[in-house]
This record gives sequence, C-alpha cells and structure tokens, in this order.
Amino acid sequence: MSGTKTVALTIDGRTVTAVEGANVLRAAERAGIDIPHFCYHPAFAAEGNCRMCLVEIEGLPKLELACSTPVREGLVVRTATERVTQARRDVLEFLLADHPLDCPICDKAGECKLQDHYDRYGRFPGRFVEAKQKKDKLVRIGRGLVLDRERCILCTRCVRFLRNVTGTGELGVFERGARAEIGVFEGAPVDNSYAGNLVDICPVGAITAEDFRFRTRAWFLARNPSVCPHCSRGCAVIVESVSGYPLPGGKRRVYRITAGENPAVNGYWICDLGRAGRRDIDEGRAAGLLKKGVPVDGGPWQKALTEVTAAIKAVPVSDRPARIAVILNARLTCEELVRAKRLFVTGLGLGRVFFADRKPGAADSLLLTTERVPNARGVLDSGLEARPPLLEDLAGITALLVFGSGLAEHFPEEAIGRTLAAIPSKFLFAAHAGPFDRLFDLAFPVAVPPEKSGTYINVAGVRQSFGRALVAPAGAVPEGEILTGLAQGLGIDLGDPDVR
Amino acid sequence: MSEDAVRLIPADEGSWRLEAYLRRGGYEAARRAVTSMAPADIIAEVRRAGLRGRGGAGFPAGLKWSFVPQGVGGPKYLCVNADEGEPGTFKDRAILVRDPHRLLEGMVIAAFAVGIRTAVIYVRGEYERIAGRLRAAVAEAEGAGFLGRTIFGSEFGLDVVIHFGAGAYICGEETALLESIEGRRGAPRLKPPFPAVVGLFRSPTVINNVETLAHVPSIIGRGADWFMSLGLPKDCGTRLFSVSGAVRRPGLYELPTGIPLRTLIEDHAGGPPEGVSVKAVIPGGLSAPVLRADELETHLDFESMALACSMAGSAGVIVIGDRTPMLEVLGVMSRFYAHESCGQCTPCRIGTSWIHRTVTRIAAGQGRRGDLDLILSLADGIKGRTLCPMGDAAALPIRALVTKFRGELEQAAER
Amino acid sequence: MSYAPSAAVLARIDRAVAAYPERSAALLPVLHLIQEESGWIPPEAEVWTADKLGLRPVRVREVLSFYTMFRRRPAGRTVIQICRNLSCTLAGAEEVIAAVRRELGLGAGADTTADGAVTLVTVECLGNCDHAPCLQVDGVDRGPVTRESAAAIVKELRGR
Repeated sequence: MSGTKTVALTIDGRTVTAVEGANVLRAAERAGIDIPHFCYHPAFAAEGNCRMCLVEIEGLPKLELACSTPVREGLVVRTATERVTQARRDVLEFLLADHPLDCPICDKAGECKLQDHYDRYGRFPGRFVEAKQKKDKLVRIGRGLVLDRERCILCTRCVRFLRNVTGTGELGVFERGARAEIGVFEGAPVDNSYAGNLVDICPVGAITAEDFRFRTRAWFLARNPSVCPHCSRGCAVIVESVSGYPLPGGKRRVYRITAGENPAVNGYWICDLGRAGRRDIDEGRAAGLLKKGVPVDGGPWQKALTEVTAAIKAVPVSDRPARIAVILNARLTCEELVRAKRLFVTGLGLGRVFFADRKPGAADSLLLTTERVPNARGVLDSGLEARPPLLEDLAGITALLVFGSGLAEHFPEEAIGRTLAAIPSKFLFAAHAGPFDRLFDLAFPVAVPPEKSGTYINVAGVRQSFGRALVAPAGAVPEGEILTGLAQGLGIDLGDPDVR
Repeated sequence: MSEDAVRLIPADEGSWRLEAYLRRGGYEAARRAVTSMAPADIIAEVRRAGLRGRGGAGFPAGLKWSFVPQGVGGPKYLCVNADEGEPGTFKDRAILVRDPHRLLEGMVIAAFAVGIRTAVIYVRGEYERIAGRLRAAVAEAEGAGFLGRTIFGSEFGLDVVIHFGAGAYICGEETALLESIEGRRGAPRLKPPFPAVVGLFRSPTVINNVETLAHVPSIIGRGADWFMSLGLPKDCGTRLFSVSGAVRRPGLYELPTGIPLRTLIEDHAGGPPEGVSVKAVIPGGLSAPVLRADELETHLDFESMALACSMAGSAGVIVIGDRTPMLEVLGVMSRFYAHESCGQCTPCRIGTSWIHRTVTRIAAGQGRRGDLDLILSLADGIKGRTLCPMGDAAALPIRALVTKFRGELEQAAER
Repeated sequence: MSYAPSAAVLARIDRAVAAYPERSAALLPVLHLIQEESGWIPPEAEVWTADKLGLRPVRVREVLSFYTMFRRRPAGRTVIQICRNLSCTLAGAEEVIAAVRRELGLGAGADTTADGAVTLVTVECLGNCDHAPCLQVDGVDRGPVTRESAAAIVKELRGR
C-alpha cells in the first residue's frame, strides 16, 4: 500500500517529508508536531471516533481528521489555528461532561491522555451543570482487569485490540448514544495472554490492572527500558519502579512492566508473562551471601569468592576436565557467556559445562516463543554447547558451580540432595532463594536481567543491547562480575570482553 | 401514456399488482434498457435528467452510479434505502405499499446500468407488517422474468433480498445501512473509501433511496427531456411531499420541485385547521432547519432551501400551529437525536445527550440564564465535527429553532 | 437452560442465512425470527445464535442492545407502540400515552401490566405521520387515535 516514495507537505508553515501513504498525524508526530488524539493507535487502521485530531487542510471547507488523511505532495496542514483550537476544546469539554472527577483516586493520573490534553489544549472552565451519568465503576472483565464505565471515553482501542491483534474479540460495545458502554458477554471474560496491553493502550483510567491499582502514583515511577528475559522473543519492556520515597526505609519496588516499542521485535505489545515478570524481579530474591544456608556477614562478595577459587585450585589441573562441573543458564548475556567460555572452557579446560534452564512451553501465535529463556541464540553464538546436565554428569566430581535456579527444573528434589551431598565443594550463584541453598557451601545472590547491562540475541537473531533498568539490591552482583572475579583469582586472562 | 403511468402513487389501491402495473406500461422501460440500451447510455440519460437523490442529501443519482468502477471483477450491490426514519416522512412507505413494481423496475434499470446482480432492499423494521405487498411484488416479478436469473431472456439477472432493520434512525445513513446488512451495529463508516468502491461486503455498492429509484422507469421510458420539463432546471422532476402536522389534509402530494412552501401547505394540504395559524414549518424532515411563518414563500427545491439556510431534505413537511409551544418542539427534537445517536463519535454522542438533558431541565421549570446560549454553543461543537452527517442533522435544526424562536423560548424558560 | 427455535422457525432461519454471502450477516433477520416466536431474545438464544452464525456471543449482544426493536427482557403478549415524535406530539400523542397508561394501570416507571399481558413502548417516528397520533398493536398500525379511541383499543385488548 505505502511504497517508499516520499512526499513533502507543509504543517504549520514547516516543510515536512513523509512516506507516501502515511497519515498526517504520524507525519506530524515524526516532525515533532504534536496533534492530540485518543482513539488513533499506529497499530490499527484509523477509527475516527474521538474527533480530537481535527486539523485544517487547505482547500477543504471542514476540519479533517489528521489520523485518516493521507499525506500527499503539497498538502498544507494547519494545526494551530483558532478553528482547530476551538474544536479541541469542544471535544475536551464533551469528554469531560460525564467524565467522573476521579483524578485523586484514579491510577491513570499523571499518565492520562485526557489530563494531558486538557492541560495543554484545554484549561477552560467547564459548563456542564447536569447530573453526570452514573455507570458501573468496578466491572471485572477478566485477567485481573477492571473496567470503569464512567471513565470510558469509548475510543474502542480495547475492542479493536482484541479483534485485530489477539483475534479473541472478548469486548464489545453495547447500547448506543450516551448509553453506549464497553462490556463482555457473561461467561466469556477477557481471557488471553495479551490482556495486559489493554491497560497500556487505554488513554484514560477506564481499564486498570488489579495488580497495580491504588499502589503508587505514576509520577513516582522511574521508567527504564530493558529486554524481557522470559522467552526468546526479547520484547522491549519498560521496567517501572520506585526506589526510596515514598517507599519507607529506602526500599525498592518494581510496580509494573509495560510494553516498550520495537518495530523489529515486538511492535507495540508484550505478553502477560513478561508483565508477570515483575514478580521475578522483586519476589523471592536471595537476600544475601549464605554459607550452607546460613547468612554470612563476612564483608564483600569478592572475599567470599576466594573460597571458590581455592576450591578450583585444589583440583589438579589434569583432573579439572573430569572433576569440575559448571552449570550455566541462558539468561546470561552474550558478554557473560563469552567470559564464561574463556574462563571455564578455554581457561580451565573444563569439559563438564552444562546449561540448566526453564523448560520450554507452548508458543503462541504472536510473541511468546517455546523457549523460555532470553539468550539461547547467545549461547550458540558464544560457541558453548547448550547441553543439559544429567545426573551421571555430576557423579564423581569434586567441585560444582551452579549459575541460576535451573537445577530444580532438571532433577527431582531428592536426587539433588543426594547428588550435592556427594560433591565436596559446591557453589551457587542465583538471584532467587531456593530450597537447596542450604546444600551449597556458598550461595551468592546475583542480579536479575533488568539489573544488568548486556546483549541478548533473540529467536530471530536480532541482537539487542540493554542498559541497567534497575539498581540491584545490595550484595547482588551481575554474573559477569562474578566471572571476572573468578578469572582474576585464577590468573586467567579473559581478554577484551567486547571481542567475540 | 396516461398520467397514472408516471404518477408515483397510483390512485387505485389495487394498482400495485403486476397485471395492473403492466397495464400502466410497467416494465417497458426496463425491457428497453436491458435489451437494447448500453449501460453507459442509461447512466448518461439519468445524469442528463438531473435526478437528485430523494432520501435527503439530494446527491445526483446518475453521478453516484458512475462512481462504481467498471471492469473490475467480483460482485457489486445495489442497496435500496427504505429505512425512512426521517420524522415527518412517509413517502417511501407509500411506494412500497402502493407501487412496489415501480421501485423494482427502477432497481432493474439501475442494476443493469451499473453491472449489479444482487440488490438488497433495506426496509426499516417498523414496516415489517406492511411489507407483504413488496414481498409479493418480488415474487410476481420473479415469476414473470422481470427479476431473477435471466431478465427479459437476457444474460442479465438480478436477485433481490429484503433485509429488515430493527429500530435505528442512523441506519438511514448509507454506511450505517451497510453495517446493518452485514449484521453489525449501525455505526457509520469513515469515508473515504466511499461505498461506490468499498461498500457492502467490501464490494462496490450503490445506495439509492426508494423514491429515487422509483423515478428511473419514467426517465428511461419517457426520456430525460420529459423529466427535465418538470420542476426546475437544477432540480428536475417531481417529488413526493409528505405533509403532516397542523393542516387540514395531511398526506402525500406528488408535485414538481420548486413550488412555494405556502402553495403546498395552503392550496394542497388545505392550510391550518379552523382557529389555528401557522407559526413555523419544518420543510424537509425533522433535520431540516425550521422556517418561520414569514418564510413560507421559500420554494421547495434544494437551492432555494439552502439559500434560506434550511434544506429540501426528505421533503417531509411538518406544519406547526400557533398553539404549539416551541419548547415542546425543542424537547421532541433534542430527545430524538439523543436517542438515535449511534454513540460512536464524541461530539454527537455527548453533545446530543447534553442538549437533551438541558432542554429537559428547562422544560421541568429549572432553566437557567445562559442555557439557550449554551445549547447554541453545543450545537456549534457538533456541527461539522462528526464522523457522519447525523451530527449536522442534529445540530442545525436545534440551532435554527433556538435562534428563530429565541424570545418565546426565553419566556418559557423563565417560567 | 438452553434455547432452540421450533422446527418451522429453524427452517426460516436457515433460509435467511442462505440469502447472505456471509453467515454472520444474517444476524438481524435471525434475531427478528427468534423474537417473533419467543417474544424476546434471552441470553441462551444469544448463545445459540452466535453458534449458528459463527460469531461470538458478545457480537450478538452488541446488535441486540443497539437496535431498539429487539427485546432483552420478556415483554407482554401484546405490545403497544405509540409514537412521540413531532407530528404525533403535535396531534396529541402525550395525552394518548397518558390515557393508555391509565387504562393499562401502569404505575410510574412501569411499562408492562402487572399480569404481564401488555407492554407499552413509546417510540420515535413510525413513518405514518399523516395518521398521527400513531399507535401500533403488535406492529399493526391503528392510527390515527384519540385519547378515547386509544383507551377503547386497550379495553378491547384486555377483553381478549
């Protein structure tokens, strides 16, 4: 439909180039000219129901929608005239007429399009003196989502998302006129693993997540980009957290994961598994260094690491390939995997290097992959072999290093106890507390992926580098630093970490 | 040819049947069109005749037909708009009940001209009980080879489906009508694309009003020149005027376009009843801005009405007598548009409701200073801003009523 | 509790469906047929219709709740419709409505008689304005009516 031909048009006196077939709203956006809107979303065809994006098009008598007017050579658009200003005010006034004054209790406050547009394009006293229509404010529509019908502005983004993206179509528009409302059919609630996106795309606080409701305020949230580590799609995510005020005692909490935009990977969406990954960051974290399950208050982790290097050095060089085993995981970044290879394979000459990871699950037709690890391609790329460990592989070894919490996925519980008991020196480097922590001589807390910087390679081979989205809890270290520390202690040169 | 042959509504009740229609010269024009005319020539003739849509918008019918792309594969559709929801209008009903074959003949000619093989007659749900004759006429025409697989023995065929609405004025808007036929809420579509290109089931579609199509057999049968000899140069032919309200003889009047409103009301419909004088007239269905008693010289054609800041619309003439409080009229108007708004777009959904609630409050004796100005302002917020023409259909008549009867409304509000 | 139309209605439903190029487009005629037989369209019938036409039930409800002629609650065996639009109001529709409500014994806010036999619905323009005030009984035009003649119609109905 739209080719690569570019056209030049004029918006507010500025010449703007755009791809033929694009709409005026997007062309303006890309040129830094904001045209306020509610119902338009770049993932869908223009809907044209909010009427907020009306602009002047030279040569046409009526105001026209920027979202559904295609650009063409020589088009002249004006977005800042008195007519346009008045039209925006009128739409805002209409929307605010029945809209409840919920801002003080509404989760969307601070990131609400109605607030934002009123603040920028409104600021007039309202004239509505009738009784506002009362509607249901707590409609549970499924997947932990709550619909507030008084707040809804009927932009239908939610309805269209479920029809066009997930194809599940659970939401519909009932009644007509000012009585129109969004709803589900009883017994058929929203039930798909992309439902969380509905909260992201609702421009107001009509659809909220029970998981987020009433817990914090948007303006306290630090929003930092990362790459989701829960499957190998590598969706762009935004980690939204509060560190310190208003949390007591300088705590840190991740309140939600929202979708980041990446046209090359996930478009505009993430799946609910990725959103649930919020828990992976905050909950069940290894609290501190443990010695056989007992907290150690013995100074920095570097000092404890000498015990690990000592255990490795104690194994004769010629015995190391058979007597030392390392279990890695595919949540390690490419940089960490390269270091691991240089340390364990090239440096120590180990043969028993394995990968224990989350078991694969069912893929869906959108984003979720069968692999439930972020960097399986990174493992391939590093030259390490992604062998899962068998119990036999751990028999008769003298030292074991386990990175991650994957053991429990691979072996039955009692087998782990037996196996570990037979190994003289064993060390764990995991982000989360686990039932076997007490079996390890030392258990080091490590960072989770959003607390690291590095690169993942996704299922389609796309390399994505990400920076730290969060500061790790005190004492938790990225595995990369552990590996560097071990290498230093063993006198192994890891070379330039950026050279593959 | 007798006058009955070209009058849209025959006088005799039994004239609706096929045999009576044939005696009146029925299906001769269709025969000529299908067996010996080129489709392009039919379109040209209808264009030349200047037949304008009789549903309300007055768009030239032949021009609309010419928008359908020719030479593309796939089905095309003809939709007949028999939704007749514009208050004060009851002409299409009369055609369906008293001259259904004339409609069918017009459909055959139109479909042949545009290359359409399936027609859907969208009849408002409230006419379901009187649709028996229409159904019978379709059966008669199919039986006689005027509809169906091979019409007049040619390769051209036309299937007719009758689809009933279910109580939504908005389904008279052409894209909402399409949505309704496709089994959805009557929410109008964004245009472009236009139905001529992307219409029913995404195929090219022509949508015409019942009366518009009912004029086609006469145009083809007697020629465009004949049609142009009636009415005005830019607004040819006759129209069915629905007259109701404060008149002695409410009913349908088929007259050439362009007669003065006063002539229609007084000479044809008998003027107001004894003891009543005319206060106001709505000339083109409820959505046509009201005219005051001193504006009755306005002529009933598209241009004259537009110049008078009203519209010819559906030619539904509602006469309001001097005993009727305009606040009551405003109440009916505002309630109607709020009730019929599909709810899709912001200005109409909320604007019509807000106006209705304001008027209701005024009517309940709780009017405030500034209410009428507010209503005007809200109407301005709707006008020209909506997804479909219903916004203007609501805003313009409300605006006109409040402006032209401001004094009376202010007095009523203060009580 | 599940729904099924009678065999006769099912046959008409199948004919209606066959007339459309897409099954789902037959939604309005199917709902009309169901309501004609059952008097209203219960949720079970929404589910049945959805299944029949390859739609989700929510889509059926969208249409059911949009169009005012479809009933989501049971109505009386007899439905009286009175138009309140302009020509009918000018001709005295409000008085007719009041008279009919009195005659039916409908309290404020009620639209169906206590015995569930008759439902009164006020509607917008029925397209019969030269016979204002317009009153329909089960879809059949009985206008023009006066307060008296409308009350008489009700009496006659109640006498049935």
